[in-house]
Amino acid sequence: MSERTITLLDIFGPVMIGPSSSHTAGVARIAFMARKIFPYPLDRAKVSFHGSLAKTYKGHGSDKAAVAGLLGILPEDERLGYALELAEREGLSYEIVAVADGPERYHPNTAVIELWSGDKSIRIRGASIGGGEIRLQSVGGFEANLDGSLDAILVLHKDEIGVIAIVSHILAASRFNIASVASHRKDKGDEALLVVEVDGVVPSSIVAQIRDLPSVREVVYVPSIRA
Amino acid sequence: MNWKFSTVVELLDRAREAGLSLPAYLLARESFYSGKGEDELRAELARRIRVTKTALDRGIREPQRSFSSMTDGGAAKLAHGEAWPVEDELFRRALAYSLSINEVNACGGKVIAFPTAGSCGVAPGLLWAYRDARDPSLGPDSPRFQDAFVVASAVGMLIALRATLAGSAGGCQAECGAAAAMAAAGLAFLLGEEPEGCFDAAALSLKNCLGLACDPVAGLVEVPCAKRNAFMAANALTAVCLRRAGISSVIPFDEVVGAMKAIGDAMPAAIRESAEGGLAATPTGMSFRAKIQ
Repeated sequence: MSERTITLLDIFGPVMIGPSSSHTAGVARIAFMARKIFPYPLDRAKVSFHGSLAKTYKGHGSDKAAVAGLLGILPEDERLGYALELAEREGLSYEIVAVADGPERYHPNTAVIELWSGDKSIRIRGASIGGGEIRLQSVGGFEANLDGSLDAILVLHKDEIGVIAIVSHILAASRFNIASVASHRKDKGDEALLVVEVDGVVPSSIVAQIRDLPSVREVVYVPSIRA
Repeated sequence: MNWKFSTVVELLDRAREAGLSLPAYLLARESFYSGKGEDELRAELARRIRVTKTALDRGIREPQRSFSSMTDGGAAKLAHGEAWPVEDELFRRALAYSLSINEVNACGGKVIAFPTAGSCGVAPGLLWAYRDARDPSLGPDSPRFQDAFVVASAVGMLIALRATLAGSAGGCQAECGAAAAMAAAGLAFLLGEEPEGCFDAAALSLKNCLGLACDPVAGLVEVPCAKRNAFMAANALTAVCLRRAGISSVIPFDEVVGAMKAIGDAMPAAIRESAEGGLAATPTGMSFRAKIQ
C-alpha cells in the first residue's frame, strides 16, 4: 500500500452528518465498504464496537452510522439520522455490541462487522483513524489495508503460481494503472486474497475476465468512497 | 509537474515553478489525483460551501438542542441577543456563525469536516461572516470565495502532512487549532494578502492554540468543542488584524507546525480525546457522562 496522498477535498470534507468525523462518518464508511465487499442479501448483521467507540457510541450515533452503512447509506446522506427506523422498515436484522476489553492490538477506534447470508458469512475489521478516514484491516480472515480512496478489486483465489501476474496482465492490457497490489494467504497452497487498487473505474467486463480464471473463486469490486 | 510538498516553502516553490497562483496550483493538483476537470472540482467546492451555509442558517434559525442537553441553542442567542458589547458586524457574525455550524454538527446535522467535524465551524463561520458583513459579491459560485476555502485547505494539508489533525493524536490544537489557522489564512486571502501573508496569519493563529487539551465531556463533540469554534474564529480574526497591521509571526509557519507536533507527542493520553482528563474529569463532566451512559 502506497503512502496516501492528502488532497484538498480530503481536508474540505467529507460532507457528513454530525457529530463526529471519526465516530460517525468513519463508522458509516466502514459498514458501507463491508457491504460492498459482501453484497449478498443479509440474513443478519452484527456490529461490535471496540475502544473509544464502545464507550461513546450512543452519544455519537455510531450505531445509526453503522446501520446506515449496512443499508448502503453514505456519511453525507440525511437518512443516516433515522437509519434505525429504516432498518426496521427494511427488515434488517442486526445487533450492536460494545466490547469493553477487546484485543490490545486493535486501533483505539475499531468496528468489527460480521455479516451472514445463507451459508456465506464474513468478518471485517475496520479502524476509524480520524477526520472520517478509515482502514479496513482485516477482511474475511485475511489481513488487509483498504482505505477506500481508490477503486479496488478483491480476488479470492487458490494460492497458485501466476495469479498476480495474470490479473496484472488483464488490467494492463486494458490500459488500467495499478496503484497497489497486496496479497495475503492463510497458508501455503491454501486460499489467498489479492487486493488490487486501480486508478479509474474498471468495467464489469474486465472484472468478469478475472472471475473466469481457473484458480479464482470469487471476485468483488469495491468502488472508491472518496467523493 | 511536481505535486509533492510537505512545507510551505516547498508548496510555494512548486506553485512558482508551475507558473500558477497558489489556488490554481492546488486545483491542478487535485485534478491530477482525482482525474476530474477543474470545472467539476469548482462545482464540488461550490456544493460543499453551500452545505456550510445551510448548516449556518439552520443553527441560527432553529436553536439546536442535543440529546445530552449540553448544546442548547447558543448560536441563536448570540445572533439575536440584544446585549452586545462590541460594535462590529464582522466580529459578531464570526462568533455566531462558527458556533452555529458546530451546534448543528453536535445535533447530528449535515456539515463538512473542515478539517474535522468538531472544528467544522471555525473557517466557514469566519469566511461567511466576512462575506455577509463586508463583501456580499462573494458566494459559493465566486472563484475568489472558493479560492479562500482552497487556501484554508492548504494550511490543513500542511498540518496533516507534518503533524496531525486528530485530537486523539495531537490534542485540540490539532483540530480547533488547525481550523483557526486555516480560517486565518482564508480570511487573509480574501483581504488580498499574498500566500506568504496568508501563511503568516496562519502561523500567528496556530501559535496561540499550541498545547490545547482535547478533553470532551462524556466523549461527545460538544463541550468544549462547540463554543471553542466561536473562540477560534476570534483567534483567527485577531491573527488577521495583526497581519494587516504589518505584524508578522517571529516563528515561521513550518516551524510552528513542527512545534505543534512535538507538543502533541508530549501530551498525556488523558487530554487526547480519551474523555478521561481535563474538563471530562470534572464533577460536572462526570455527571454528564453518567447521565448519557
